[in-house]
Amino acid sequence: MALYLYLHFPALQCDSLTDSGQQSLPVAVVDAQHSIVQLNAQAAAQGVQLQMSLATAAALCHNLQLIPYQREQQQAVLLSVAQQLYQVSGEIAPDPPAGLYLRVCNMLQLYHGLDGYRNALMAELKRLPYRYAYATAATPFAAKCLARQQFNQLTADHSLTDAALKRSPLSFTELEADLQQQLQRLGIDTLGRLLALSAAELARRFDNRLVSYLGRLRGEFFHALNYIRPEPGFSRYLELLYDIHDMAVLSAPLSKLLQQLQQQLERNNALCHQLTLRLYCRDSDTQCISIGSAQGEYRAANWLKLCQLQLETNRLQAPVYGLQLEVTQFAPQQAQSEDLFQPQQGNVSALQLVSLLQARLGREAVSGLSLQNRHLPEQASGRPLPLLQSQPGAAALLQRPAFLLPQPVALRETIEISRGPERLCPDGWQLAAQRDYFIGRNKQGQWLWLYRTAQQQWFVHGLFS
Amino acid sequence: MSALLEQLARRQLLWHGNSQQAAYQAVSSGSPELDQQLAGGFPASGLIELQTQLGIGELRLLLPYLQQQHSSGRLLVLISPPAMPCADMLCAAGITLSQLVIVTAKTGKEALWAAEQCLQSGCCASVLLWQAGLKLAQARRLQLAAEQGAASLVLLRRPSAGLSLPVNLSLELKPHRQGLQLSVHKRKGGWPGSAFVLDMQSRWPALCFTADAAELPQRKAG
Repeated sequence: MALYLYLHFPALQCDSLTDSGQQSLPVAVVDAQHSIVQLNAQAAAQGVQLQMSLATAAALCHNLQLIPYQREQQQAVLLSVAQQLYQVSGEIAPDPPAGLYLRVCNMLQLYHGLDGYRNALMAELKRLPYRYAYATAATPFAAKCLARQQFNQLTADHSLTDAALKRSPLSFTELEADLQQQLQRLGIDTLGRLLALSAAELARRFDNRLVSYLGRLRGEFFHALNYIRPEPGFSRYLELLYDIHDMAVLSAPLSKLLQQLQQQLERNNALCHQLTLRLYCRDSDTQCISIGSAQGEYRAANWLKLCQLQLETNRLQAPVYGLQLEVTQFAPQQAQSEDLFQPQQGNVSALQLVSLLQARLGREAVSGLSLQNRHLPEQASGRPLPLLQSQPGAAALLQRPAFLLPQPVALRETIEISRGPERLCPDGWQLAAQRDYFIGRNKQGQWLWLYRTAQQQWFVHGLFS
Repeated sequence: MSALLEQLARRQLLWHGNSQQAAYQAVSSGSPELDQQLAGGFPASGLIELQTQLGIGELRLLLPYLQQQHSSGRLLVLISPPAMPCADMLCAAGITLSQLVIVTAKTGKEALWAAEQCLQSGCCASVLLWQAGLKLAQARRLQLAAEQGAASLVLLRRPSAGLSLPVNLSLELKPHRQGLQLSVHKRKGGWPGSAFVLDMQSRWPALCFTADAAELPQRKAG
């Protein structure tokens, strides 16, 4: 026997906004018709109700924070909830704007019955900040109808749900307002009365919308649901209740997002190497910051440290009203084995250290050094990414300086030559550009690497140290 | 009497003049005469100060020590070097280039921050820092970080008459035709000695003048 669970989230957009810091503020979401569609507990305590007009609500509660209803944002939050619940339940179909269908019957074997399933699901829902109502029934529409009445029972006992279904008023069904009105005029005000009538007679009097709804409610017609598939990455948006000017203040909402990322990474047993943080600025372009970790991290605390270092160096041009955290690629977690006999002194690995330095000083400020198989000294030293294992390309030359000057400097002092010359010619044997290198010592005792051009001009190219 | 002495010694209230413990673990500097002067070599961890001009042989003095330090697989970090380091010279000295990290900091503050992070991370063997000024508190902080991560920090700076810093070893380097003239300003657990000349002719023949070469005619460039 099929069993469906419907989860109804009455205040998804409102709950996604509220974080612990702003618990005391009453918040309400207003639609385009200026009526309240979602509100939080503080607003309800002050007497604000759903469907109330904006003017009444404002009169009741002077510090009510109003937020316009945004369909896309609501949908994004709903999908993120579905992704999160996917970890415990296999078949989930979103029902915009505020509901989720879960097909329970296939999951019962995994959880050894309904009790195990309930525990797993409720534990997962508890982590989310959203309020919800739920109900189970034999068909998706029946479950939805009960959940909207806050039936709040997870049961496989169909007699219980059927009785509740028969009592439910028509306003909780999926029927359009004109159909409801027609039925009301006939004196049919509950589903029980409607279901008692024969389908053939209803079909003669009403159009097929009613017949198709009742067929799907009874389970006689097939009800197609679009089940979601898990997405590979992570993307969350967080709208801030007030504009933030200071980078340091950003870390509080950011750590909330990173916690969610950590939960997802832990569940997937994965880590990620790169985050993209988008700061939505008021009256200005969106600022996009990418934060990398060479080793790969999943812990929120480590990511937060890297983000803070990166944010300290950036300046905010305009106040920020929203944050988006995106990860496109997850990498599998690898166990790192440590030396048993030489325990590490610190708890930071070399890759983590490099990421830390890069976050604060900039990506190009940290580099490695590699030996290239080139005869010209300025090409022989490469600056690759740090800690890159490179195969030994060439044997190292002796009599090379420790430091090369970025630009050769004309020689302006007396030099005592010790060794030379060593003739180097650029590629293609351009004899006019050949250089004769000498090792010399100046009056201060510094050892210089000098060259003489074909035009008999002298330059300092390096410093022995 | 001896029982009383023994009791005091056990409670560590008595200090023996002849049983000095080494203040630090020493790593050979690669030349026996210098090892003898430094009572074993350079410290394996903590701060080492070199007061030196640029380009007189200060890095050549350190190379054998640095090579031994990072042979365990830990990193060698160069922070704000005066010019671009050359791979040939470091590679010829036996330093594994994949374990070398070069940090170019824009300000002195950033360089100090990077040095502290590297030292206390525990994954760096030695950090070389080219920095002019260092305050007493900063030096103390770096010393603590170095102890925490069992790393050494070599501070290369110009000779200055400033306050002496809390370092494990402080050397002053002066150019010399046969190598370097060294004087130990300060050594933890030891006395500063008189200046001496470190002969580098056998190791770096190209970068020394032989003692009798002064009489030979020389080419002058210019």
